[in-house]
Amino acid sequence: MALKLTESEFEIERDPDKCISCQVCVRQCSNDVHDFDSDDDIIISDSQKCVGCHRCESMCPTGALKIKEREAQFKTNANWSAHHLHNLYKQADAGGVMLTGMGSDKPYPIYWDHILFNASQVTNPSIDPLREPMEIKTFIGKKSQELKFDNTGEEEKGFSIKLNTRLSPQLELSTPIMFSAMSYGSISFNACRSLAAASSGFGTYYNTGEGGLHRDLYKYAGNTIVQVASGRFGVDADYLNRGAAVEIKIGQGAKPGIGGHLPGEKVTRDISNTRMIPQGTDAISPAPHHDIYSIEDLSQLIHALKEATRWKKPVGVKVSAVHNIAPIASGIVRAGADFVTIDGLRGGTGAAPQAIRDNVGIPIELAVASVDERLREEGIRHRASILIAGSIRSSSDVIKAIALGADAVYIGTAALIVMGCHLCQKCYTGKCNWGIATQDPYLTKRLNPEIGTRRLLNLLRAWSLEIKEMLGGAGINAIESLRGNREHLRGVSISDRELSILGIKHAGEPW
Amino acid sequence: MKRIYINEEYCLGCRLCEIYCQVKHSKSKKMIKAFKKELSDVLPRVLVEEIGYNSFAIQCRHCADAPCVDACISGAMVKNENTGVVTCDEEKCVGCWSCIMVCPYGVIKRDLSSRKIASKCDLCEDEDIPVCVKNCPNEALKFGEIKDGGLTGSKKDVWSK
Amino acid sequence: MSGANKYDMETTQYLIIGNSASGLAAAGAIRSEDKKGRITILTEEEQVNYSKPLITYYLAGKVDLEKTGFKDRDFYTSNNISLLTGTRVISIDVEGSHVVTGGGKKIKFGKLLIASGGKPVIPKIKMTGFSHKKRQGCSLMDSSNYSSIKGVFTLTTLEDAMKVRDYIEKNEIGSATILGGGLIGLKSAEAFLELGIKINIVELADRILAATFDSRASSIIENAIEARGSSIHKDNTIDEIFIRSGRISGYRLRDGIEKNCRLLIIAVGVNPDLSFIDKGLIRAGRGIKVDGRMQTSAPNIYASGDVIEGPDILLGQNRNIAIWPLAVGQGNVAGSNMAGREAHYQGGYFMNSVEILGIPSISMGMTNVDVDDGSSVEVKTEFRPERNQYKKIVIRDNRVIGIIMIGNIERAGIYSGLIKNRIDLSGMKENIFREDFGIIHLPSDYKKHLVVGEGIEV
Repeated sequence: MALKLTESEFEIERDPDKCISCQVCVRQCSNDVHDFDSDDDIIISDSQKCVGCHRCESMCPTGALKIKEREAQFKTNANWSAHHLHNLYKQADAGGVMLTGMGSDKPYPIYWDHILFNASQVTNPSIDPLREPMEIKTFIGKKSQELKFDNTGEEEKGFSIKLNTRLSPQLELSTPIMFSAMSYGSISFNACRSLAAASSGFGTYYNTGEGGLHRDLYKYAGNTIVQVASGRFGVDADYLNRGAAVEIKIGQGAKPGIGGHLPGEKVTRDISNTRMIPQGTDAISPAPHHDIYSIEDLSQLIHALKEATRWKKPVGVKVSAVHNIAPIASGIVRAGADFVTIDGLRGGTGAAPQAIRDNVGIPIELAVASVDERLREEGIRHRASILIAGSIRSSSDVIKAIALGADAVYIGTAALIVMGCHLCQKCYTGKCNWGIATQDPYLTKRLNPEIGTRRLLNLLRAWSLEIKEMLGGAGINAIESLRGNREHLRGVSISDRELSILGIKHAGEPW
Repeated sequence: MKRIYINEEYCLGCRLCEIYCQVKHSKSKKMIKAFKKELSDVLPRVLVEEIGYNSFAIQCRHCADAPCVDACISGAMVKNENTGVVTCDEEKCVGCWSCIMVCPYGVIKRDLSSRKIASKCDLCEDEDIPVCVKNCPNEALKFGEIKDGGLTGSKKDVWSK
Repeated sequence: MSGANKYDMETTQYLIIGNSASGLAAAGAIRSEDKKGRITILTEEEQVNYSKPLITYYLAGKVDLEKTGFKDRDFYTSNNISLLTGTRVISIDVEGSHVVTGGGKKIKFGKLLIASGGKPVIPKIKMTGFSHKKRQGCSLMDSSNYSSIKGVFTLTTLEDAMKVRDYIEKNEIGSATILGGGLIGLKSAEAFLELGIKINIVELADRILAATFDSRASSIIENAIEARGSSIHKDNTIDEIFIRSGRISGYRLRDGIEKNCRLLIIAVGVNPDLSFIDKGLIRAGRGIKVDGRMQTSAPNIYASGDVIEGPDILLGQNRNIAIWPLAVGQGNVAGSNMAGREAHYQGGYFMNSVEILGIPSISMGMTNVDVDDGSSVEVKTEFRPERNQYKKIVIRDNRVIGIIMIGNIERAGIYSGLIKNRIDLSGMKENIFREDFGIIHLPSDYKKHLVVGEGIEV
């Protein structure tokens, strides 16, 4: 075997004064990094195998372990960075497509961090959300152009007002945050269960992703958005009618333009039943839907799904944020979608080719601004809700997203982090030490759904409170007033071009 | 009466329960000191059993009709009327091992460190919850009472009704 | 009742004959059900409270006299129990519901519990007197005269142990002989070895602790004893005792060997003491016969402990099994029923935990069963004499019926649970011999019931 060119990415520091050789690290590492030498009564660690998931560090009862990223000691080269060298060495050995997991970690500009929110001073009083009503309830679905009422009462008996306009089906969210599409197969059942239970507990929704809906999650079906992806896994009339809404997945931010692949080894009996494919066969989602080759085809599918669900559920479409996202979104809305989900460049995934994850698509901040602008220009903004995804990291990101035009946001990576993910980006190996991106029963036990649900609920509650604080600080008492209201935002340290695409002024400029 | 209940589904087999039990029953009560200086003298009172990817931690069940209390020839093994906790009085124990003979869970061990005595879980009577329950990283052990078909007294959070 | 007339009758609601494991367990069970009813306990001994198994520990100096008790000092007062020591019952008037004591006292009872235990068996052995090496008369040693021979003792009460200790101190004893290699014999042997006294054990069977040990198990302990300069004579017994000046001076074994001896402990066995029982009124065989509620054939009279014949769940018949845990369990059942709360005794089997010279051993059930062709009995063994370790499991019809563990007794009680609950082990018999055998290897419904805890839905 030829000399290995790659070196360890991580360094494991073990403090011998603190290590008590309890062997928790040995037992907990699914990559067999730590080993107990019973002759010398000492634990030896093999850094080569470490993926930097920090499981051992978290479990160590005495804090004896420290996992550090190992700085490659190559000669300093601004062009040929260590990252490029590592990739080339790996490809020299493997000769294949380099896979990775989670969202892009490249230093593209993060516009959230260049946008600032406003607060009230003097002219418009702030509102204290703990003392006064503050509404962050959000409705997702097609809104009517106008509402027609009939006044049917007589003056003596009191007026009674009747709404004549038929309203489209809506999803009612107690907070403008939902859980992103993550399929059962890419994540463990315990993770799915935590997301479902948290959505149900808080009054929001989660998305099945392309994995179908597991029987044990039927009780949460009222909070489930079911996805119809190109592989049509798990899709039948029952599936469509159980969910609260249907989402046609055309693309996702992490890998625009390509499909997905779940290797046969991971298609267990449970996944086989849920996805309705034979056990042990590869689950391949093709790049396009083979029945959607034009916008008219999409419109046909949208209406077919509405028929199948008796026009009782919102039907939407999910696309990646690409260069022409504005006209694409416009076409989708005109095709009859009740909501459009846009997934940006930094969206996460269980497995994607690194080249595509890091180089294809556009940041969601720019996408949502331009789509909202375009739909308003065409006078069709009310016909569909805009949902966005692709690295919403905090409640301030949520506020800015809504101010740029989103109706609500989907969070994926943040939810997984809250359940324990440490972003080692090795999801595609199926050896997730946190029990999230794996189907190995020894590992999936590690995510106790009681704890997972509790943590997700805490996340939603914390962010909702922060959103209310920020709204109150800006003198707004309903999230409706913030939606698309670019006046509440100012840019900082970005070019005029970017300011104009985002449709916001620069900090320092009054209205 | 509060007891420890085991949730086999979420036990990781990490054995942190055994470690915290050892620390609790050590002289120094400090983890690093106990392990580096006292290890051979301290027995954990909880035991992790493992087969394949299934595991669970088991300790004294503080049975209603404890067979160890019946079998004890020196009156060392007694059940507290109020708390229901079964404890072994180390002064009275003569190390006859009759308790080991009759315990159907096999959770009593021989402590040969100084005098020969029987060693088992004492439900950490001076703690608000036993240390194994408190430190289980995946909440596979719960401490509470069975009431109305459910387990009360376990960790509450703002969402439980 | 007033008056000093000895024919006046005392009355008590609950009367218990016997102040040891079974009697006190019953008293406790009665008191937890009935807080008011009068409880009286009679014991022929002088001591207030002591544990019979601890007397050899006392003899060896491991336990002080004050520590031989097994109930708290205030057990009798806090439970409102009258204890009459030095009081032997000589007869029971079943119809008249009263007992008569040796001192002529009559005590009337509402309910009676006979928990009087057993008495040591004294074999009839030829005794030959010597004076200046000349043979004098021959007679027979038996239960009526053994205690008058200096240097001959039984070891079943604290008083016996105190006498032996006293004798050893006064006579500079360097060696002793124990007739009987059963539980009491072995524990006495260990006590003597602890005191630096060499021992000779004489046992009729081909192994020691014959009730539950097989010959391999026995060999491990025998080797340990012999390594201490002591000897064991198996397949043997004492045929003749030599007396000089009223004191034992030696004996002759069945195989002809003669030995000098100044201290002899007779430990061949214990029988239920039925001397005060009228078998016509209270049915008895070797022990008092009882039903599943520990009630005898006489109404309002119960019996428990070493004095009864109870169901042996392995043999499927009634027999006398004189061991502490069963005595306590039976006492609990008897007391509960006497106080009006239904309780049933499931039955027992022989079990033993004894540590000799640092080698712990636990054995229970039927361990000397032959495996015939076509029978459903399987035996698995693991013998490591160099490590003083032995494990034997006897299985019949896929259920454990006997086990011997020597050296490593970790978690032996799990087998007790398997025997008692008659757990069917089809399909997992191989697991039993694992080093790490535990509850996790057992059939899932039994395991879940044990693991999850009472009250939780499984």
